[in-house]
Amino acid sequence: MKLPLLSLLVFLPLLGAGLLWLLPARTARWLTAASMLATLALGVAALVAYQPAGARFQLLEQASWIASLNVHYRLGVDGLSILFLPATALLFLGSLVACWNVVQTSARLHYSLLLLLQTAILGIFCALDTVLFFVFWELTLVPLYFLLGRWGVSSSSPQAAARYFLLMLAGGIPLLLAFVLLAASQPVPTFDLTVLLDAQLPRSTQTAVFLLCLLGFGVKVPLVPLHTWLPQFALAAPGSLTALLLGLKLGAFGLIRFAVPLAPAAAQDMHWLLAGLGTVAILYGAVGMLAQTNLRVGLAYASICHVGLAVLGLASYTAQGAQGAVSLLLSFSVATGGAFLLLEFLRQRTGSTDLHALGGAAKTMPLLATGFLICGLAGVGMPGTSSFPGEFLLIIAALHSHTGAGMAALFGLSIAAGGFLALYRKAFFGPVTRPEVSQAQDLRPREWAVLVALIVMIVAIGIYPGPWIEIVRPAAEAWATGLGR
Amino acid sequence: MNGPLGSLSEVFWYEQSGLPLLLLLQLLPLFGAAVVFAFKERSTAVLAGKLFALAELLLAIVVVSRLQPTSAALQLAERFAPLAYHVGVDGVSLIFVLVAALLTFLMTLYGMSRGMISPGRLFAVLLLAEAGLVGMLVTLNVAWFAAFSALELWAVVYLLRRWASSHAETQALARFVQYQAFGWGLFAAGCVVLGWGHAEAHAGRWSFDLFDLIGAVPVGKFQTAAFYLLFYGLAVRTPLFPLHGWLPNMAQHGLIAVAPALMVGVKVGIYGMFRFVLPLTPVAVEYWQPYVVGFAGAGVFFTAALAFQQTNLRRLLAFAVVSHTSLLVIGVFSLHEAGIQGAMLLAANFGLAATGMWFIVGFVFRRTGTTELHELSGLFERIPFLAIAFLGFGLAIVGMPGTPGFDAAHLILEAAIDQFGALLTVATALGNVAAAGFLLWAFQRAFLSQAKSGAYDVDRTLPMEYVVCGIALAAMLAIGFFTEPWLHLTESASQAAAARFAR
Repeated sequence: MKLPLLSLLVFLPLLGAGLLWLLPARTARWLTAASMLATLALGVAALVAYQPAGARFQLLEQASWIASLNVHYRLGVDGLSILFLPATALLFLGSLVACWNVVQTSARLHYSLLLLLQTAILGIFCALDTVLFFVFWELTLVPLYFLLGRWGVSSSSPQAAARYFLLMLAGGIPLLLAFVLLAASQPVPTFDLTVLLDAQLPRSTQTAVFLLCLLGFGVKVPLVPLHTWLPQFALAAPGSLTALLLGLKLGAFGLIRFAVPLAPAAAQDMHWLLAGLGTVAILYGAVGMLAQTNLRVGLAYASICHVGLAVLGLASYTAQGAQGAVSLLLSFSVATGGAFLLLEFLRQRTGSTDLHALGGAAKTMPLLATGFLICGLAGVGMPGTSSFPGEFLLIIAALHSHTGAGMAALFGLSIAAGGFLALYRKAFFGPVTRPEVSQAQDLRPREWAVLVALIVMIVAIGIYPGPWIEIVRPAAEAWATGLGR
Repeated sequence: MNGPLGSLSEVFWYEQSGLPLLLLLQLLPLFGAAVVFAFKERSTAVLAGKLFALAELLLAIVVVSRLQPTSAALQLAERFAPLAYHVGVDGVSLIFVLVAALLTFLMTLYGMSRGMISPGRLFAVLLLAEAGLVGMLVTLNVAWFAAFSALELWAVVYLLRRWASSHAETQALARFVQYQAFGWGLFAAGCVVLGWGHAEAHAGRWSFDLFDLIGAVPVGKFQTAAFYLLFYGLAVRTPLFPLHGWLPNMAQHGLIAVAPALMVGVKVGIYGMFRFVLPLTPVAVEYWQPYVVGFAGAGVFFTAALAFQQTNLRRLLAFAVVSHTSLLVIGVFSLHEAGIQGAMLLAANFGLAATGMWFIVGFVFRRTGTTELHELSGLFERIPFLAIAFLGFGLAIVGMPGTPGFDAAHLILEAAIDQFGALLTVATALGNVAAAGFLLWAFQRAFLSQAKSGAYDVDRTLPMEYVVCGIALAAMLAIGFFTEPWLHLTESASQAAAARFAR
């Protein structure tokens, strides 16, 4: 029998979470780190086992789950999702190490929730059954709610947690409806993604499914005007959590994996809607960023802007667009994740990421400032960083399919780059006015190690993107071909 | 309604088992009540009470194992003509029986850990109430159903009088008795109309047996009258908006966990609608379906809005119960196989989850002496397990994946799309999100907020509390992730119920 690699990968963190409660509390942190390292190893193993030129879905696993509803436990990966597995494992490990000393109270509970979140997110990337996917999708909410509400960094954290939870729960309704509609449209109701991808659906069903998915995933992406939770979330969440949630763009992944390929004709009819939402998000995010006085909120707006670019490129419905979108999302897990971790370091030192409380931070914390600049530049798609290949592909795709929107996107991206540099200048340059800043220590070795690892990845992928892009390419081509049916 | 779809069939007990299991199932708690009562307040009484509750739970599991779930017939049937005694079960009734037995067992454990006065008497009454519940769930005779219902209500009234936890209980008790007596009276009147209809059709021979009545359903206005009497009688019991007035007061002033759990943990009202109202008044059900569903849909939101106004955790839970009951009624009255099946599973899920929440409120009350939300704070730091369990039960009520609520709500949604279109479905689902909203809000205020200065010294979680909440939570998660056997158990019974309305 073959080794169920994906199941191991998905449930290893959960196993770790269980183990935490059997061993003494003081080992919790190390046990979590060990579990995350093992998960990373399995993620890399899955990547090695994956054949880019092989079948569309690989490493398949299947077991009967709820037979009378024809729901199965079905896992598998393709080129669009495989790279997210090591990226997720890496980001979790990074944020654990980065926030090594932060958690002082109920450490076991904190780490087991973090591991539960990891299981849920890995499950989202691996699930090939819509119900299974939905279970993992909603499962993320419980640990997020607790992590945000109980270990948040602002007094409004519980409110932010409840708001996030309720919005996402409401966003789940259209998704569930879409999946039920899809299942009911088949002669034998099925939730099997591989079957649904090949099914011919009537136009009206497709339209309903597409719009419902767009609504459901749009809350998570977030697309303007469903983005209102994000700034508050960025302020209230502990740094590690912001890095995870804004680094891993689950909503955009949902659009690529479900919304577009499950309703190809409707998606193509409504290309203007997707492209329009993307363009609005780019411009809104860029302009919103200019108005911010807090680095974390500023980065949250930057993230709205960049995910908008991924959505716009996706709306070209070409292999290039899909390839670019996946590459960009992957790059974000490193760049945005890293930037938020650095802001967490900054917040621990100065007590704030507000511009009023900073100024001249580069003088006392040169390493932190350099690291933040590199991550930030990667975020705005500077050539030579990991985001550039994806961004380039996306802009070409967008200019081909929606020339006007593509031009607007270019414009928006330049504003965003300017916005980032303006925020950066105010926070890190100029005279030091605050005692918190003048007494701040630069990065400690542990933080430094996380940073170096991230920067190496950003630069390495930026300079030599070939192998990564090649893993995504066949799957992206299959994705685009699937839309032509 | 005399066609093959409308008719009922039964399989007698001697074909399926060596013992009349259903008779045992009903007599065991009665016998237990007598034994516990005889022991008075000795410590053996407490032990005996627990053992009888456990034995009943095991017996219920044995009964489930004897059932043939693929058959739509009522099984393990027993008849004794002189008393008009007629019992039989299908998958749906057994789900409810299991919930009743499990909850009673948990209540005996809970009663211990709360340190109640005169636990012996309490356990005797509890077992008596269980006998009433089980009797209602297995009988196939509407008059017996009404009689068992009276027995159970009497037990609850006795509990409220003797073990009430606050001094404002008199008013709450009076309200409770008024409502329940009225509801019971309506149901009894409905039974009379049905029996009369049978007498008209069969030369003056009265009968209240489901098998007889189904062949002689009243026609025209009489059927409408019977429908309304039975439906509203059960709606008071359930309780369905706007007939829920007794619950919040009772919840706030009465005995904390046991009495509400007995009344709303096992949703006999919903079961009664499934077992008697749907088959016996089919034409009226179809005619009045839009009104019932419309009211229930409004009820989901109205009670959710009321829940947001509450300042007391116990009242808030009461409104949560009323809100989700409306969802169950929508499921049953979708008259769709998936909707009915979903409603039955959801009823069991709600029962378990709501009872778990009542238990935790009881544990909190024992520590703090209050359930006022503005007086509670920071409990998470002291009792994290209970806090997480509370949220877990809350999520089950909302139908979170991984709890039994998910597949059930999923089924109801499927049926609602099919029968009422997307609009009502989305509205109902949003009502569910509203429920999530107020439960989270309460959770935050009581458990997550910063502990106020000079806050009470809260005891850590006790072993018995771990056991009670752990069992309930484990049962929920196990059913949630392995729904298949339960779907299998309820499938053919739900199909049979919906087949009457196939268009």
